[in-house]
Amino acid sequence: MEVKEIISSGLLELYATGLASSEEAAQVLQWANQYSEVAEELNQIQAGLDMFTSAHSIQPDPSVKDKIFARINEAETAKVVPFENQKSDQVAKVIPISSFWKRVAVASVVLLLGSAVLNVSQYKKNNDIAAELNQNKQLMSSLEDKSKSMENDLQVVQSKYSTPVSLNGLEAAPDAAAKVFWMKNTGDVYIDPSSLPEAPKGKQYELWAIVNGAPVNAGIIITTKKGDRYSIQKMKTFGKVEAFAISLEPESPNAATTPTTVVVMGKM
Amino acid sequence: MGGTVKYTEEELVHQLGLKDQQAFSYLYDNYAPALNAVIYRMVEDQALSEDILQEAFVKIWNNFNSYDKIKGRLFTWMVNITRNLTIDTMRSKGYKKQSKISGDENSVNNLQDGNSGIEKFDSMGVAKQLVNLKPDQRLIIDLAYFKGYTQDEISKQLEIPLGTVKTKMRTAILELRKNLQYF
Repeated sequence: MEVKEIISSGLLELYATGLASSEEAAQVLQWANQYSEVAEELNQIQAGLDMFTSAHSIQPDPSVKDKIFARINEAETAKVVPFENQKSDQVAKVIPISSFWKRVAVASVVLLLGSAVLNVSQYKKNNDIAAELNQNKQLMSSLEDKSKSMENDLQVVQSKYSTPVSLNGLEAAPDAAAKVFWMKNTGDVYIDPSSLPEAPKGKQYELWAIVNGAPVNAGIIITTKKGDRYSIQKMKTFGKVEAFAISLEPESPNAATTPTTVVVMGKM
Repeated sequence: MGGTVKYTEEELVHQLGLKDQQAFSYLYDNYAPALNAVIYRMVEDQALSEDILQEAFVKIWNNFNSYDKIKGRLFTWMVNITRNLTIDTMRSKGYKKQSKISGDENSVNNLQDGNSGIEKFDSMGVAKQLVNLKPDQRLIIDLAYFKGYTQDEISKQLEIPLGTVKTKMRTAILELRKNLQYF
């Protein structure tokens, strides 16, 4: 589509007012990235809406902001409870005790000691069992997570709309490989990075979609967190793609705008 | 607009993802009055409206990671959180104004709501400029932007075909932008 057509399509307005579907929104963002005129047009539309917003504003009481900040900060600081010293200035009186009561006292101390020993051993046993239970629970939940992520992976692979694309190693990394699954119906893109070698220190992998001959960033591939590397990850959505590629980029929370070193590539 | 730093939407989203409180303060200063108006028009009670606003911002702070810019603008996401919270609160309080919740009663009612909203709370003196908007143009922006309606719901509400929603929205915003030039 030409820039003029894009601007008059009405899609930019739908996006700015929140009416666009996620597919349309992705399309609009891609256009805005690609053409500065589209980005400028989008800014103008948003400025118009901002004015509309101001006309609809009601200034809340200033105390509301303080309360909100108090609450988000409260959640982050632990409460400190002051420790009070107990006063003990009373002097105990001495009362004489008969020998019978002395024997009773000794007997009860012996009983008490016996029960304390029993308590300690029971408590220890209890603790051991609790620890074991806890361990089992953790194991169970990690297995559950694993099976859930495998189930998700399977769904992506088995979907009847799923189009697999094999990405093969280029000169920079001849042994590297990866697989992309593109959903015909939604344009969703999934990446299976399990055959990519570990990214070198300070570098990260990023996926690119080649659209109309130009690379468009499809997001950062997670390979650092253990476990994640073996599961299929959802990337950005594309309606029309000619090829996919993966590049190595310097580590950064922001995706690169142009690929530096392309390691694998595959055509649709 | 308070504060010395000015963020673009992209920077704002990035900083909020890092739990930057200065960015959150900026977010509040810039969007709280509009969100407050969204709530007020549903509950018509200033104290309750500010309580819900407080909840909404705490929720926005805590759940910021669930915002996905691919799915739409930040403001749209915040309006949806705010609207849903308001509806939940009204339901839990057994709120009497049920018609306000459904919002589907009839378009004439909504149209009048829109008008009174503008006349009562003209904080920046721009209401006069907005008079240039035709009622149906104002309504379509209002439904989408402030009430979180979908294209489908708007098409039913205004009794126009789905395709027409797109063209009507475009003419409405073009009209708004003409007003901008007077500033």
